Amino acid sequence: MEKELLYHPIFITLLIMLSFMLLVCLIRAVKGPRVADRLMAVNMMGTMVMVMISVLALLLNEGYLVDICLIYAMISFLAVVVLSKVYIGIYEERQHNLKNKEGGDTDERS
Amino acid sequence: MNAVEWIRLIVGSIFLAIGMVILFTELFGVFHFKYVLNRMHAAAMGDTLGIGSCLIGLMIFSGLNFTTLKMFLVIVFLWFASPVSSHVLSRLEAATNENLDSHCEIYEDVEILERELAANRESVSIQEKEEKPL
Repeated sequence: MEKELLYHPIFITLLIMLSFMLLVCLIRAVKGPRVADRLMAVNMMGTMVMVMISVLALLLNEGYLVDICLIYAMISFLAVVVLSKVYIGIYEERQHNLKNKEGGDTDERS
Repeated sequence: MNAVEWIRLIVGSIFLAIGMVILFTELFGVFHFKYVLNRMHAAAMGDTLGIGSCLIGLMIFSGLNFTTLKMFLVIVFLWFASPVSSHVLSRLEAATNENLDSHCEIYEDVEILERELAANRESVSIQEKEEKPL
């Protein structure tokens, strides 16, 4: 009983601080002028959510929540890699289309 | 509560405080710098060191059981995953930004950079030799 009284305030303070940081991260993700900014902010939010899940696992005494944390880490890593690959592909396709259009125009003029 | 548990509480709290300070520094850096490639430098710190010391604090709290092992696995996974995701993000930025050279110097060939660095090193050593007699 005495132990819980000591540990609970620490965990609650941690959770409150982390949720404020999460909001600030969200502001960065909305403001970020480039796509890489937004993806980086999402990555940071993933890191903070991982700490929050681990704190919750100890606060609620449920060990299996850490499994969810591990899976969350894998999925957020996968999301960053896949999204940046997809965006590079979209950009290159757009450049390719632009070049094709210009090439067609010059051919018609000549 | 005996002495060992007090020590565990204090050491774990210190690690958690260090982790929170590092996460806060990460946020400060992300808002302080002006360009993505600079911001990434600050953001990569929290991914490894910040969450690492936070989870080490929580591991000390929880003691020796399977939860501790899983938290260690999270840290090890992030050690491998964070550099890779930073690399992929910077590659995205370098591939899609058309005026990258207004933010940083770009060398077409690595040999040019190496030659410049060698020239810099020589000029520095010459300066040192000239300054020594004075």
